[in-house]
Amino acid sequence: MLIGIPANQQRNETRQPKDCSVEMSGYLDTIAKQRCKASFAKIFSYFAPRLRSYALKQMGNEAIAMELVQDTMSNVWQKAHLFNAEKGSPSTWIFTIARNIRFDMLRKLQNRKEDVCSDDLWPVLCEQTADTKIAPLDEQITLEQVGQYFNELPAKQQRVIEAIYIDGKSQQEVADELEIPLGTVKSRTRLALQRLKDMLREYD
Amino acid sequence: MIKHHPSESALRSFVEGALPSTKAILISAHCDMCPTCLSKTRSFTESIAVDMFPDLRQNPTILREYISMFESITNDSTLLNPSYSQTLDTRITLDGREFVLPATLARFADRIGEWSHLAGKLWHASVNIGGGSLAQFIYMDRGASVPEHTHKGNELTLVINGKFTDGGKCYESGDFIELNQQHTHMPTAENYEGCLVVTMLDMPLHFTSGWAMLINPLSQLYFKVNTNN
Ligand SMILES: [Zn+2]
Repeated sequence: MLIGIPANQQRNETRQPKDCSVEMSGYLDTIAKQRCKASFAKIFSYFAPRLRSYALKQMGNEAIAMELVQDTMSNVWQKAHLFNAEKGSPSTWIFTIARNIRFDMLRKLQNRKEDVCSDDLWPVLCEQTADTKIAPLDEQITLEQVGQYFNELPAKQQRVIEAIYIDGKSQQEVADELEIPLGTVKSRTRLALQRLKDMLREYD
Repeated sequence: MIKHHPSESALRSFVEGALPSTKAILISAHCDMCPTCLSKTRSFTESIAVDMFPDLRQNPTILREYISMFESITNDSTLLNPSYSQTLDTRITLDGREFVLPATLARFADRIGEWSHLAGKLWHASVNIGGGSLAQFIYMDRGASVPEHTHKGNELTLVINGKFTDGGKCYESGDFIELNQQHTHMPTAENYEGCLVVTMLDMPLHFTSGWAMLINPLSQLYFKVNTNN
């Protein structure tokens, strides 16, 4: 022990990483469940500057580095429900998101022609559709917002969106019910969400 | 037992997202089959994360230059596209035998072309990953042998199921093989049941080398890919 510094004060100065990790996990949980901005501010204030140093080192360009920070933090904000504390720490999860984004950015920047994206290699940002239901729509767009545009979707997309988001069925259940391949359900969902998103943007 | 693994530095670059797609796919598929390398990639991931985010002490407030970014992220009503991982149980049926693909390759199942006969007891199907790289499955039936050849590009191979010998070495399911232009080789599956491998070549300019030299447009449809949900 250093002379003149009380033991307990010394302990306070270096906080146990594990405690912080638990705290950060708690914030991610609140972001996922309540879209809590205050919790996101805690995560953001810590991770954003450190991500920037990492990105700057890797990409060597300020604008690209900031794009990587923004994309990573957007994913943290929107996809916090995919974080699983049993699988790893918040730091590890956020690093893997940044890594995925970097891989995809590099692919674009280097003009690599391969049709391989980070989701193919590390599905950390993929919804788990195997046995769990996919993220409820209100985490992405509110139903009220959607209501007015829903009728403008093609009938096939309407059926899929209705079954998944209103009846709460899994994509596999919808595939079985409509007797169409799972891949078709996925692409219809994706197209419908994209379309809704575009309409929201256009009319806002 | 798996005897041939990617190097530690390759595993680390894989974790960092710095490898070309072809090598990344094969390393990822190898990790699906190899618990040793899987646990190495996990510990690399954790240690890189610790290096990146060393002291988990929080910044009390958001630094000024980040405030507008914070605002735009939290106020943005547009959505990131949700992505979905394939959780399909993907099998390839070859001549009555069924092969289960490692999870990484299963995600490419919809990009596997038709199987066609090459020569002798060899069959292939290409995987359309776009770009200038060549990716393909090769099936060597019992007794198959590839003529001796040298390499002009880097060739990566992963054994999915079965055994073959090459240059006095025996390769088995899960083995990861990296050959460069110094290698001369002649893979044979002489004494074994059929062997399924997946192979990637980065420099397709040299179609006269490696597994790629076998590509022959005179193909007949023979095998079929099954994707079972
Ligand atoms: Zn290994």
